[in-house]
Amino acid sequence: MSDIKFRLKRQDPRDKENPEAHWEEYTVKYEGENLTVLEGLFYIQESLDPSLSFRYGCGQSICGSCAMYINGAYRLACQTNVKHLAADVITVAPMPHLPLIKDMIVDMDDFFAKYEQIKPWLIRNSPDPEKELIQSAKDAKKIEMPSDCILCGSCYSSCPSAWGEENYLGPAALLKAYRFEVDTRDEAGRERMPDWDNERGVYRCHTIMNCVEACPKELNPTEGIEWLKRAAVRRKVFRRAK
Amino acid sequence: MKAEAVAAHRGGMWAWLFQRITAILLIVCLAIHLTFTHLLNIGDLGYDNVANRLAHGGLTAVDIILLAAGIYHALNGLRMVLLDYWLTSRVRALAVTIFLWAVGIAFLVYGIWGLWPWIGY
Repeated sequence: MSDIKFRLKRQDPRDKENPEAHWEEYTVKYEGENLTVLEGLFYIQESLDPSLSFRYGCGQSICGSCAMYINGAYRLACQTNVKHLAADVITVAPMPHLPLIKDMIVDMDDFFAKYEQIKPWLIRNSPDPEKELIQSAKDAKKIEMPSDCILCGSCYSSCPSAWGEENYLGPAALLKAYRFEVDTRDEAGRERMPDWDNERGVYRCHTIMNCVEACPKELNPTEGIEWLKRAAVRRKVFRRAK
Repeated sequence: MKAEAVAAHRGGMWAWLFQRITAILLIVCLAIHLTFTHLLNIGDLGYDNVANRLAHGGLTAVDIILLAAGIYHALNGLRMVLLDYWLTSRVRALAVTIFLWAVGIAFLVYGIWGLWPWIGY
């Protein structure tokens, strides 16, 4: 039996007696060598403090529900082994710069509204082929990186441009715009473009690259955003299609 | 987030593109300007020498390009900073843009006016 200390940032804005943020410490006991932060949170909720709130889904870093600020970095609680943090205390806080609902749960409404804004689906104008849309390995490679985004919100929470401007689309939405614009099957042309080709879109990005640092999936939203800026020049100045 | 606020903002590409173009112009023109003004004429700051240098049409052109590029690059940079913190409505963004264009054009006219005696000399 091993144990490790968890330090959690707790806050319930609706609690009339104690609406302020405060830190609470818990000692988590576990068998064997491995414990993920998510398992630690479950232990606390089940054995120590049932009032603890947090989001989770798949537990295998696919759904993007459990992104939190763990020991000074954006991490998915489910894929973070406390052993790899090499720390005496595991500090867990909700993702900063987002409206807090309770404890580790933040309001993601704006995040998803912005995601919808860029029309995150394949837009086709030509009739569908009889069997399938052929994609070469080379073409598939283009969408490999941006397709891996699980919409956890880490990049959006870490982006200084998004802190300053509430209407800025943010790195995740723009990475998804890139994912569809760079797709050889997509025929949106100018249809999706007005949604990201504006000063609330790609031009609000100043290549600070916090998003690259934050992404738990090690993706590069900045690269996608810069591609979109160049694509806008290609299309509007050089009259190219893509 | 207000979707209509996002939809209301069109453009931005030309400002972004010109910021890059003026950056390249600044590197080239600044190098020429500094070389001819401060490296090849060390210790020789008399009126005749300066007038002589400015009499070259090419150098005056470089100076005017440098001035225009410098003003655009600086004011667009300032605009970006202001919009980062201050852009809460399209009207404000437009007001900032128009004001900075007016300031920029005023500076450019003043600079060209200063060089005027040598233009077409």
